[in-house]
Amino acid sequence: MKTRLFFAASILALAAFAAPAQETYPSRSITMIVPFPPGGVADLTGRPIAAAMEKVLKQPIAPVNRSGAGGKVGYAAAANSKPDGYTILIALSSVSIFPEVDAIFNLKPAYTLDQLVPIALVSADPTILVVHPSLPAKTAKDFIALAKKQPNEIAFSSSGLYGTLHIAMEMVVQSAGVKLRHVPFAGGGPAITALLGGHVMALSSGPAAAVGHLRSGKLRALASWGDKRLAAMPDLPTWKELGYKNVEFYIWAGLLAPKGTPDEAIKALRNAARTAVGDAEFKRVMTKLETPVNYLDAPEFQKFWDRDAERLVRTVKRVGKVVTAK
Amino acid sequence: MVETFDNLMLGFSIALQPQILVYAFAGCIIGTLVGMMPGLGPLAGISILLPATFGLNPIIAIVLLAGVYYGAMYGGSTTSILMRIPGEAASVMTCVDGYEMTKNGRAGPALAIAAIGSFIAGTFGVIGLMLLAPTLAGWALRFGPPEYTALLMMGLFILAYMSGGSMLKTLAMAGFGLALGMIGIDAMSGYTRFSMGIVELGDGVGIVPVAVGLFGISEILITAGQAAGEKVQKPKLRDLIPSREEFRLSAGPIGRGSLLGFLIGIIPGSAHIISSFVSYGIERRLARDPERFGKGAIEGVAGPESANNAAASGAFVPMMALGVPTSPVTAVMIAAIMVHGISPGPLLMSQQPELFWGFVASMYVGNVVLLILNLPMVGLFVNLLRIPYSYLYPGILCFCILGTYSVANSLIDVWIMLIMGGVGYVLRKFRYDLAPVALGLVLAPMLELSLRQSLAMSAGDYGIFLERPIATTMLVLGLVLFLLAIRPLIFKGKDWRSTVGLEEQQN
Repeated sequence: MKTRLFFAASILALAAFAAPAQETYPSRSITMIVPFPPGGVADLTGRPIAAAMEKVLKQPIAPVNRSGAGGKVGYAAAANSKPDGYTILIALSSVSIFPEVDAIFNLKPAYTLDQLVPIALVSADPTILVVHPSLPAKTAKDFIALAKKQPNEIAFSSSGLYGTLHIAMEMVVQSAGVKLRHVPFAGGGPAITALLGGHVMALSSGPAAAVGHLRSGKLRALASWGDKRLAAMPDLPTWKELGYKNVEFYIWAGLLAPKGTPDEAIKALRNAARTAVGDAEFKRVMTKLETPVNYLDAPEFQKFWDRDAERLVRTVKRVGKVVTAK
Repeated sequence: MVETFDNLMLGFSIALQPQILVYAFAGCIIGTLVGMMPGLGPLAGISILLPATFGLNPIIAIVLLAGVYYGAMYGGSTTSILMRIPGEAASVMTCVDGYEMTKNGRAGPALAIAAIGSFIAGTFGVIGLMLLAPTLAGWALRFGPPEYTALLMMGLFILAYMSGGSMLKTLAMAGFGLALGMIGIDAMSGYTRFSMGIVELGDGVGIVPVAVGLFGISEILITAGQAAGEKVQKPKLRDLIPSREEFRLSAGPIGRGSLLGFLIGIIPGSAHIISSFVSYGIERRLARDPERFGKGAIEGVAGPESANNAAASGAFVPMMALGVPTSPVTAVMIAAIMVHGISPGPLLMSQQPELFWGFVASMYVGNVVLLILNLPMVGLFVNLLRIPYSYLYPGILCFCILGTYSVANSLIDVWIMLIMGGVGYVLRKFRYDLAPVALGLVLAPMLELSLRQSLAMSAGDYGIFLERPIATTMLVLGLVLFLLAIRPLIFKGKDWRSTVGLEEQQN
């Protein structure tokens, strides 16, 4: 009995010693996993927010690019990392897609969504439908009408099969009941190059990547995937306005942490993110990137993410396995 | 013309500002070091440096990154020639004859010719970029998946010209390379092929770890297996300078390599990697005595090295004229200017003349800087060979592992490199040629993707390759080359290939 008491007491004492050490989170540098190569959306959002959060946390946040398999490598690495608050992830919308695709192919999922918990949403930008100027469709309505008249004739490019830009277009396909030809490319850059060359006729693209080509008239924008019109393009209707209620898609970037990260760490990170989005330097960089900041704190972000993941998973399920038919 | 000249003067007035000149220098030096690091190539170099440019102004950022890119292209040849370790994918071909030259005691001339060829090709590329960018860019956009497929088919046919020795062994190695290229997620159906549950293999096997392993690590293993150590070289000053004969032999390959590299470089995508392979194939075909290739032919260094540097500047044509990120490298460069609020697009040249012309002028400056930097260093580099192998090779092995790891922070890449080192060792013992493995691995994923994209565009109709003039022309040309290459197989005639030795083995 006595020994047991002594034992309990020593554990308590140890805990008491350990507690102050935990309160000083973060006591060393934090790793931010960026699942894409430098220069991509995740990288260009992750680095400025990391820099701004450092100022609050008084500890360095080191972005580490772990790219591969369209982001899956980095997502899996973050989801399976030690949940001690010293590894966080800057994720894009595609994080919701991979577990579902693994399920389609009966693969053991590299990670599941419940292995990750939200910290904050940083930005959310709807994609826009851009078409080659030689396409006769002048409006989104024309586009759908043309696709109905010539089923499986209009080709669109994407960043890759089951990639975000593919799934966005697939929402329209499913909602409007049309058939389009899908030509996947390895990333958003080649996808837009193919559109500029007229090898495909349409693409669901991030606004920032397309805006220069819209201004010069090399491409034409027809619709946006947002739930309201883009501030930068007030004349561009949304699919929702046009009556396609299920068509809503964002390229969002948010901070996540592996599940099991201590509460005080999550609290500190949420707090740091909240201050960081108001940081003048951060705002300046994001304006230059033409990416509007769209901050949501963890609870609202979770709701947003759930709705978004639900839409994406539903679309991916309906796409299912792709059969390359002649 | 006058306008171009005025613009160029504007460019030089920017590029020669001391502040910008310093960054151009810094970029060239960093790039040279990055290129020399085994496994680390231009893409990895500018990717790692990109975040550091966010705080600079856009012109400085792009001048710095361009310097790194260029420097890495120059530096990549150094380790290929001296140690048979390709610093980046484009230097694979340089390994073959460059390293043989080193073993013949001609490391100095090989390095010097590589630097001079790179300078001429780089300068040629910049002139092309300056005068022809808007014209060529529109042409480049006409390269869709069908044209790309045709181009890569031509690359595949060139395999037949690439190596000496047994055609059967060459094709076996090409098949091995193509099979390696099949690993990864199928772009059209999403199936994961041969990944053995390793998520990292979803992207396939990278060319860089494979090339470093096959060429570099296998060389280290072979040297280690020798009863008597390789004799340490003591180069004399006279051996550093190319002979008149070597200059004469290099002139043609440099000229052809520059033109070829530039044209391939313009095409959107990653085709520029094949420019050095194609150049090697052509030079071997044109040489009066192709037997020398693989045994230290200077043309085998001059051609590919010029081609890859010209391709590097060619890649800027669509980037600058159209503002599209056509390759991974230009994508990073575009990110570097987007961060400063400059949106990429076809108006880049007219709206940002300081940026464009400053960039062009800084490339002229960069090429001169690199030539000045590299020629005197030839002596220094060659003296590295004085280090006994027992000290040199463990160090190189460390650098190989470090470099390969740091490209994507991936341990899987390091394992691939080490396994490929073992595979390369065994294959070389059995006298197989390894260059076709590298080309096969480069071509397989690109060819598969573009072929299936073409078929997706046409809903499965192969006629798409005959409806498009550029694609058809290239396919016919490729077919003719192919028929020429297999002629000896069919007619059992003896051609030069039967008399050509494989790479010399030291056992």
